[in-house]
Amino acid sequence: MERTASSLVGRLLRATALLEDALLVLILAAMVLLSATQIILRNLFDGAILWADPMLRVAVLWVGMIGAMVATRGDKQISIDVVSRFLPAHWEARARVVTDLFTAAVSSVVAWSAFRLVLDDRAAGVTAIAFVPVWICEAVLPVAFAVIALRYLLFAIKHLKASFADDAELP
Amino acid sequence: MILIGIALILLAILGAPLFAVIAAGALIGFAGSDIDLMVVPMEIFRVSEIPVLIAIPLFTFAGYLLGESQAPRRLVRVTNVLLGWMPGGLAVVALFVCALFTAFTGASGVTIIAMGALLFPAIAEAGYSEHFNLGLITTSGSLGLLFAPSLPLILYGIIAEQSVDDLFLAGILPGLLMLVALSLYCMREGGLVRTRVSRQGFDRREAAAALRESIWEIPLPVIVLGGVYSGFFAVSEAAAVTVVYVFIVEVLIYRDIELRRLPGVMRDSMVLVGGILIILGVSLASTNYMIDQQVPMRLFEWVTAHISSKLSFLILLNLFLLALGMMLDIFSALVIVVPLILPVAAGFGIDPIHLGMIFLANMQIGYCTPPVGMNLFIASYRFDKSIVLLYRAALPFLAILLVTVLIITYWPWLSLALVR
Repeated sequence: MERTASSLVGRLLRATALLEDALLVLILAAMVLLSATQIILRNLFDGAILWADPMLRVAVLWVGMIGAMVATRGDKQISIDVVSRFLPAHWEARARVVTDLFTAAVSSVVAWSAFRLVLDDRAAGVTAIAFVPVWICEAVLPVAFAVIALRYLLFAIKHLKASFADDAELP
Repeated sequence: MILIGIALILLAILGAPLFAVIAAGALIGFAGSDIDLMVVPMEIFRVSEIPVLIAIPLFTFAGYLLGESQAPRRLVRVTNVLLGWMPGGLAVVALFVCALFTAFTGASGVTIIAMGALLFPAIAEAGYSEHFNLGLITTSGSLGLLFAPSLPLILYGIIAEQSVDDLFLAGILPGLLMLVALSLYCMREGGLVRTRVSRQGFDRREAAAALRESIWEIPLPVIVLGGVYSGFFAVSEAAAVTVVYVFIVEVLIYRDIELRRLPGVMRDSMVLVGGILIILGVSLASTNYMIDQQVPMRLFEWVTAHISSKLSFLILLNLFLLALGMMLDIFSALVIVVPLILPVAAGFGIDPIHLGMIFLANMQIGYCTPPVGMNLFIASYRFDKSIVLLYRAALPFLAILLVTVLIITYWPWLSLALVR
């Protein structure tokens, strides 16, 4: 029973990973094309796509937040690693349990606040760019922070196991 | 409140991701002032309201493309042909190519990994001591931070609300000072080992061949820097032009990067961008809270109560920034500390542009300062040398850089001559 559940989680994680990577690549490609088009229009034809600049700015937020999700996946968030470098493996794992749970908690609160923000703006019905409402632009925030919170929760479980493991099992 | 601050700092030192530490500070602060926590995601959303910010993902992607291509090898070949005939030529070559490469790729360790692999064996073969070689490569990894279009310069402009174009100009002289000072040391070392080194002459045929090979890459700095410095491009436009140009040259003309590897390079570059932008986003929230609580004002009052002269403030600033550079990476340090010290420095009559140069120059040294400078660890890992050996190897270079940082700090003209 546990086996099927974990393989389901595994499949879900792999699917999310693929989706994140695809989105990152697509948005970045769109940003490059759109900003290049803008320059050509501006310099050669004295024109511009009106929605391009605000769209590009929102794309920066999206690419940043999805990039942060992927950074979490590879455990590559920027942090100070002065102390953990010098800790013995067991203690490093124990410290990680604390920091992982802390990060998961903080990210959940941000995700929940962002979720309420999206609902509020959806009710208010403000448009951001051309026909795109603000809440759609903001929607990346609750999703990203929720995924980050979840990943740190999984890290905490992993490190909890490691902190009780035998020395031989530690890398 | 103080207890919470200490707890957060402890968590950061234990290795909690910095974005979480900063976000926690903002959340706790706003909650304590009975402000709805929705303000935090609202502030993070402001990342989408800063026009220059688009330069960061675009330049980072271009930098990763350059790092993955054969551009480093071609760059070394061309520079070697042009500068290699001087005493200490190869070492000077290393300084120049590393500075140029870091300016385009950001000081994220890419320089040591990509350039070090080429330069380290070449410098060793030329007869320089391993000590000198390691110190040179380690310190070169963050040289070039002050030259356009480096990401830390752009980020400082965004946070300090200064014109990025002005910062690009301001960085030229301080950056050159560092480069020239280290070059002189290299030439002296080159003179010392000359008995052992067979210095190469200027080979006209090799020069022509090297230039022909890099014919497509040589225009890049000219287009980007010329475009930005002449005011022809805005910074964000220069970023877009750079990406398109680098893509066409490295992927379509040289075909150094196969198309199927492209998505992987795009993803890796955006992971770095994500790590920076999430910290920038949450720090917009924490800065908002601190300004709301008049923290910079209070900090200024506290500092002026204890320090009276501009000179002693600058000395303390140098010490503080050096220590900071050892602990924090440059991006986190920028977003956390600049909003706090900017008003204090302004109170002492320090120009924000000059402060930017002081800040980045100090941080650059922090990258290679024992015991925890990031460049030391990257070099130790890359060249499989003990970290203690690298500490000692980096020392003479650090001493020279320290002198240049003091000159940059106490001689504002150097930073401001081209701007004002």
